[in-house]
Amino acid sequence: MRLPTNCLALLLAATLPCISFAANADLLIDDPYVRLAPPNAPASGAFMLIRNTGKANRQLIKAESPAAKTVELHTHINENGVMKMREVAAINVSAGGQTELKPGSYHIMLIGMKQQLKEGDAIPLTLSFDDGSKKQIIAPVRKLQTTMPAGKGMQHGGMKQ
Amino acid sequence: MKHQNAWIGLIGILLALLLWLAFFWEPARTSDIDPRTPHTPLPVAEIPTGGDFTLQSPSGAVALADFRGKVVLLYFGYTFCPDVCPTSLAALAQALSALAPGELEKVQGLFISVDPERDTMDVLKIYVPYFHPGITGLSGTPEQLAQVARLYGARYMKQKPDADGLYSVDHSAFTYLIATDGTLVDSLPHGTSPEQIVDKIRTQLKAKTP
Repeated sequence: MRLPTNCLALLLAATLPCISFAANADLLIDDPYVRLAPPNAPASGAFMLIRNTGKANRQLIKAESPAAKTVELHTHINENGVMKMREVAAINVSAGGQTELKPGSYHIMLIGMKQQLKEGDAIPLTLSFDDGSKKQIIAPVRKLQTTMPAGKGMQHGGMKQ
Repeated sequence: MKHQNAWIGLIGILLALLLWLAFFWEPARTSDIDPRTPHTPLPVAEIPTGGDFTLQSPSGAVALADFRGKVVLLYFGYTFCPDVCPTSLAALAQALSALAPGELEKVQGLFISVDPERDTMDVLKIYVPYFHPGITGLSGTPEQLAQVARLYGARYMKQKPDADGLYSVDHSAFTYLIATDGTLVDSLPHGTSPEQIVDKIRTQLKAKTP
């Protein structure tokens, strides 16, 4: 019967995405950005949503950027109100799941910016995963919100920045 | 059945336990508890008293007493902090920016650095006003900082530097709300929204006794 051969071919085809090491098409990066910090702040963070549409658990194990001297993976542990920032060896993204790098949680820490950040700057990041794949992304610099967005807060007049 | 005796034995033990629980066990009588010991001890230091202090700012010595008649918001942090401190300072800045000018002149933000080694006056001078001009950066000797932190129940702990000499500082991330008479009235947890901060400020401004 020819059926088993076709099944075999299908199975083989299904494994092909796992074999390519250049980039893993199952991993998607949504809304990456680097937070704009004060001009003399030595460190800032890159945040994003990593989605794993594949069938195997994946881990982000390294991040690099030409824009900073040192790039590390960190998370925050909130112990009874005491915020502890800890470097982590890997950030897990489970199969079919997603992991959000966001303030107060996981983030890619950029230490020693080589040039002062400006809003809108495009920061290149290379993300390395445990399967050997790498992803090149651009994270735009986004300003920290320091003024109340329009419409919030009571309207007593004269409250603009 | 072979195990019948074992089952009876087990039931007997459980029954005995149940009887003991029902008739003999008592929760600790309140008279047995030392009234000075809180039932649910504060996770962070002793119960904070708040209180006056004097520290250094980029424009000279600053005392909390200088701000009598104003609502003060106090935050302990450090400038190497990439995430938590900018988030908290930004929330405070948003709250301050939402106040009417007449309100804002009766409010003062204070950022006390728990990292005096790196956060010099020159650093604070640029870092803190970036968020809002109504926030002043403060620092002092390790002893002075420890004393002020103790008053407010703030905790911080410098971590071991890595191979490049970089280190983070664990710290409690509350924003302390001080009334116009200088008393500590609230500790706002990290993540309190700017809108909530505005509400708290306005409550304190209204509470000011003429």
